[in-house]
Amino acid sequence: MKKFCILLVLFVIFAGCKKEDVIKIGIAGPLTGDQAKIGYDLLNGVTLAVDEWNEQGGVLGKKIVVIRGDDRRDPREAVSVANKMVNEGVIGVIGHFNSSCSIPASRIYNEAGIIQITPASTNPKLTEQGFHNIFRICGRDDQQGSIGAKFVIDSLKKTRIAVLHDKTTYGQGLADEFKKNMGSMAKIVAYEGLVQGENDYTAIVTKIKQLSPEVVYFGGIYPEAGLLIKQMREMGLDAIFIAGDGVIDPEFIKIGGKATEGSYMTFSPSAKESPCAKQFIDKYTARYGDVGPYSTYSYDAVNILLKAIKEAGSVDGKKLADIIHSTKYSEAIGDVEFDEKGDRNVSPYILWVVKEGVFIPLQ
Amino acid sequence: MLAQQIINGLTVGSVYALIALGYTMVYGILQLINFAHGEIYMLGAYLAIIFVVSIKLSLPIAGLLPLVFLFAMFFTGCYGFTIEKFAYKPLRNAPRLSALITAVGVSIFLQNYVMLTQGAKDKVFSHLISEQINVYFSNFFSKFIPSDGSRLYICGAQIYSLQLVIIITSVILMLLLNFFVTRTKIGKAMRATAQDLKMAHLVGIKVDTVISVTFIIGSILGAAAGVMVAMYYGRVWYYIGYLAGVKAFTAAVLGGIGNIYGAMFGGLILGLTESLAAGLIPGASEWKDVFAFIILILILIFRPQGIFGERIGEKF
Repeated sequence: MKKFCILLVLFVIFAGCKKEDVIKIGIAGPLTGDQAKIGYDLLNGVTLAVDEWNEQGGVLGKKIVVIRGDDRRDPREAVSVANKMVNEGVIGVIGHFNSSCSIPASRIYNEAGIIQITPASTNPKLTEQGFHNIFRICGRDDQQGSIGAKFVIDSLKKTRIAVLHDKTTYGQGLADEFKKNMGSMAKIVAYEGLVQGENDYTAIVTKIKQLSPEVVYFGGIYPEAGLLIKQMREMGLDAIFIAGDGVIDPEFIKIGGKATEGSYMTFSPSAKESPCAKQFIDKYTARYGDVGPYSTYSYDAVNILLKAIKEAGSVDGKKLADIIHSTKYSEAIGDVEFDEKGDRNVSPYILWVVKEGVFIPLQ
Repeated sequence: MLAQQIINGLTVGSVYALIALGYTMVYGILQLINFAHGEIYMLGAYLAIIFVVSIKLSLPIAGLLPLVFLFAMFFTGCYGFTIEKFAYKPLRNAPRLSALITAVGVSIFLQNYVMLTQGAKDKVFSHLISEQINVYFSNFFSKFIPSDGSRLYICGAQIYSLQLVIIITSVILMLLLNFFVTRTKIGKAMRATAQDLKMAHLVGIKVDTVISVTFIIGSILGAAAGVMVAMYYGRVWYYIGYLAGVKAFTAAVLGGIGNIYGAMFGGLILGLTESLAAGLIPGASEWKDVFAFIILILILIFRPQGIFGERIGEKF
């Protein structure tokens, strides 16, 4: 009996060591914590795409397996997730969400020669590092900041601006871009950072209220934005609220409630009209419910990666990167073409507004 | 502006103080830093949200509020009692480090337990009900304080009525605790046990009961803080206990850990420092934690036992 047990254990160990004949792709993002909603939006998009491919026999005759990595929006955690991904032998990673996670992780992916396609990290630095195999399927904060600034100057015609950020690479980077683009056209009455993950922003709201800004620009993510706008309205600060793409999530309205009414965000135009997008949205809704703002991006990122693998006929990172750089894709979010740096060569930003509890693109 | 920042600071500070009381009471008796206490506060906040979501009756606010508090307090009291019995009591005579490590373990366990059962996403307190609560208290306070319907005015400061509710409720709870500790028999037993656990045992005090009661009361106060935070800020997730726990622990050390009045004042001082530093120094709001910890370091350098702490030689 004892011998049998030892044999069984050995068998299990060797069975575990057997090289599986699958293609692994990674999804990395905040799967737990206050940004878990977005993490799951990304994961669902990836799973949907991978299931579609597997139904048609996978790629290169192999099944595709999704490896999850939870970075909990923490840059340190992101680095260890990236190492885990490399050790797992993934071909490419879809992620991360936060720029503060994507940038340190990209160095590891680059060293290992793995493809990284971020569905949501907008900080310009990510693609300014000269890495050949790092791609960004969304826009950049310099584009987004200038659209936001232009809107404040041309359409709102407001001149007293308070700029707030959450001290992250994304939040502060976006706030800086906005501030830079405002230039001398407006008076920046306050430029302050707040602590991510806290509940109480009354001190900072009281402070900027004293300076009577007409517009409050926030660089950050929806949990803080929801609390911030709620407390702004409670404390009687009625300035117009503008934020970036990190805020455009139904959770923002859920947390902020009525206070979010009339606030603006910069984000890409709705892709609902194109036939490819419609097919995706129908499938996604049937399976997971409402489509998250970034689900489409992670879905498309997987498709781009797998199409490249199919075309290359191999999983060599360099080859895949070359193909992705030189191909024009037509995906659910529209036509996607990458430039030298790995950015898309269009500026996809427009203004959105919260009206009666839903996000509506501004005409 | 100053008056308003003081109110903001007192609101945050009284939450810290309520949580700090749980740390300090347990430390006073067992010399154990109960790191799981922040999670008790988090449970309180979750229970409030669960109760409001699941209750089908449409009660008036005056009836609903006490129920929410009682529900959260009862269950967190049970949690506190159970945690002590399962995690700490078997280690009563073990080296102190073992109990400390267990406390960290319990904290991680509770976080993950809530994450797995309640989901990793944010939970939101019903806006409708928090609005009703605000209206209810605005009407109530407007009898004493000038108001314009939804906001109150004190010394030029504009106050959201829930802020005042948090401050007043905390003060009432602290007064009750003070009464309990100084005037009741079990309170006397608590003080005796805090002075010398072995001796208290020898003179016939049921030490186990006293310790259980301490954990239950600490948890109840933490739950009250959690309920109020859930109502006021409206957003809860499984990790809020960590940050609040660290701040409350700082407050307890600031005031002199083991001393109940120390925890109360420590919490208020911490809240005020954060709020005033963030509010009055331009560009400083992102450094508000730094100011809070500078105060802590200064106090620890010049008065290591904390503001109200006594240097008790024989215990250490």
